[in-house]
Amino acid sequence: MHKPLVADSSVLIALDSRGSLEDRLVHWKDEGYEVVIPMAITKEVIDEPERIAEEIRERSPFLADKMKASAARIKSVIKQGLIQVEIVDYKKYSKVIDNVRKHLSTLEAKPEHMIKKGDTELIALIIQLYYEYKEKVFVTTFDKGLLKALKPFSKEVDYQVLKVVE
Amino acid sequence: MAEKTVSILKALGNPNKAKIIAHLAKHRGENAESIGKHLGYPLPTIYKYLRELEAARAVESEVKGNTKVYYASDFKFEVSAEKLMEAFEEQTLEDTYKAKFGDEGIKRFREVSKKAKAGKMTYRQAASTLGVTYYEFASLLQETGAVDA
Repeated sequence: MHKPLVADSSVLIALDSRGSLEDRLVHWKDEGYEVVIPMAITKEVIDEPERIAEEIRERSPFLADKMKASAARIKSVIKQGLIQVEIVDYKKYSKVIDNVRKHLSTLEAKPEHMIKKGDTELIALIIQLYYEYKEKVFVTTFDKGLLKALKPFSKEVDYQVLKVVE
Repeated sequence: MAEKTVSILKALGNPNKAKIIAHLAKHRGENAESIGKHLGYPLPTIYKYLRELEAARAVESEVKGNTKVYYASDFKFEVSAEKLMEAFEEQTLEDTYKAKFGDEGIKRFREVSKKAKAGKMTYRQAASTLGVTYYEFASLLQETGAVDA
């Protein structure tokens, strides 16, 4: 995999709402990045808006249509291959995932079972990609808290944060 | 505001629900049984309509003793092409969030998003603290301009 770029939901949602998601993904592809997301992210950017859209459709049909369209656009870029959905190997990387969960639990002062899957899977995927390909992994997110949570793993993983500049 | 307009429009679009509002405007503080008797609707139907009207904020209720009594909300409704356009175009996630959590909720969102922006918590933790999904939280940050480009 060349220049794997792990994208967080915050970036996908922001770019989509600004109408520049597909252009940005094509640009990254042209620059040689392969954009990847873990499965938990698809739930946040596709399943959640689709479900909320149905819940609010009666009261807010216009907003519901907007959310449904956003989910459809993200589905479309995945179908076009502009984003790859990677499965985190829970069996192979169970120790890594346990460490990530423990770390987030301490950081957030919450019991481990309350740690959101998205944070754990994102960090675990970055580590997994690095272990598998032994090359620098790029990360893009607007979530500074997530980057703080990732920092302690910088000794074992070579990663670089890619800022989104409009 | 726009969300309320759409909800009330929907309630008024059903003549049976519109009759309940009209009835309650004249007979304030009636219970479901009494409304059903006056209008000739079966009790389960009345309860369903009242639930929907309350959700649309076209009707309000209070519990008196062991009975829940209902009142028509104090709303004014003006229909024009412009008003309809506003109702459908102004809808934002912030409106929905405000309708659900009120002004206190908006205040809390600002506090929590400030912490998330400063990196004191992850976005997912912030969403969980506010009781919303990640998608709602991230979209609200977009709408309110709280995301750094």
